[in-house]
Amino acid sequence: MAAFVAILVGVLALAVGFGTGVFVAEPRHPRDASAEAGFARDMSNHHGQAVSMAIEEYQATADPALRQIAVDMALTQQGQIGIMQTWLRTWGLEANSGDRPMAWMGTPVAEGELMPGMANEAERTKLRHASGREKDILFCQLMLRHHLGGIHMVDGVLSRTQDEQVRELAQSMKDAQQFEVGALRKRLTALGATP
Amino acid sequence: MSSKTSPRSTGKSGGKSTGKGTGKGTGRPGRKPVKPIKPALPWGMITLGAIVAIVAASIIGYGVYSVRDAGKPFGERRAQQIDGLKSFRKSNPNDLGRNHVPGKQTYKQSPPVGGNHNLRWQNCEGDVYNAEIPKEQAVHSMEHGAVWVTYNPDLPKDQVDALAKKVRGKDFTLMSPYPGLDKPISLQAWGFQLKLDKASDKRVAKFISGFARAASVEPGAGCAAGETATGTEPAAAPQGQTPPTGG
Repeated sequence: MAAFVAILVGVLALAVGFGTGVFVAEPRHPRDASAEAGFARDMSNHHGQAVSMAIEEYQATADPALRQIAVDMALTQQGQIGIMQTWLRTWGLEANSGDRPMAWMGTPVAEGELMPGMANEAERTKLRHASGREKDILFCQLMLRHHLGGIHMVDGVLSRTQDEQVRELAQSMKDAQQFEVGALRKRLTALGATP
Repeated sequence: MSSKTSPRSTGKSGGKSTGKGTGKGTGRPGRKPVKPIKPALPWGMITLGAIVAIVAASIIGYGVYSVRDAGKPFGERRAQQIDGLKSFRKSNPNDLGRNHVPGKQTYKQSPPVGGNHNLRWQNCEGDVYNAEIPKEQAVHSMEHGAVWVTYNPDLPKDQVDALAKKVRGKDFTLMSPYPGLDKPISLQAWGFQLKLDKASDKRVAKFISGFARAASVEPGAGCAAGETATGTEPAAAPQGQTPPTGG
């Protein structure tokens, strides 16, 4: 009897010790339905469209300021996609989940709808076929809206996570995109247009 | 406390002997045989022990399963187990070359699931094409991780629309009609194929979810800046350059 109790206490002690070690010493990986995982997946896709529009503008524009804005956006955001995808791999998670986009924010995007700020098919086609000043204006308008949607998602994850590396990247996205919003507004004014 | 009948004396008043050294002939006068009480099982301890064991086993079991599932090669993980899915990565590695080659190619699978392909990829940011696209460019898109949704041009419009709804706005997917398709619908990712009869099949969403971006064999590659025109001729190699192999 006493031996049985001793064994039970021993098992419990080992389990508590193991649990403490795992949760304290080892980094805790976000789970599949977490805000961190949702942000990594959704922002990767959101960034993907920004990269697409930016690289197109970089190639097409004659405006040196916009060319610079565009190449910076394209390269940085493509790099950030890589960072977020590596997080998912490290966390042992798949690239997609069965959830709707932004379900982790409590605002799931329905099938057929797009994440905030994203350009729809008609707008992408219009941008692709535009040229010169018209294209520059359209690019600034679409990208401005895109950034504001992105910042909304960044705020969403910042209010939902304590994960240091996620917070660091999210905050840097917010800082850069807020700056770029200002720059895009300035370009629009210079081009004689409005958001 | 009344103890008229105690375990010690029940049913044994006939003087039956129990155990060694008691009863008749031992020379011990007047001593009644003592029947040892069987102690009750410690059910409290056993239950507690069982609960601890079950909880511990579940946690460890789940942990081991998760780690082993994540460590499986792509295509074999739980998220990729789909009824009817054909997997070519292990069985047909020779059909999955990754070189950039100009001109039309012949592929063993129809529609192709991989292989040598054009320098240019087909734009796959959820692009829905209403005419045939060059296979050699779609294959490059799949190398980047795109799911290529194809359908027989005979497919009823409402089903085409239902498929399109799942593709539009979804990065790392593209959709196009495929003349001569032997089934109404065929979904492809690099090294994987799933042929279906109806757009309402729940496996469409499962395939896209399991393979879009995830099926990439070129980590970091994207679906933007691709060809957006339809047609059957793959893009010509840029003049004055030999297309680089690989990449």
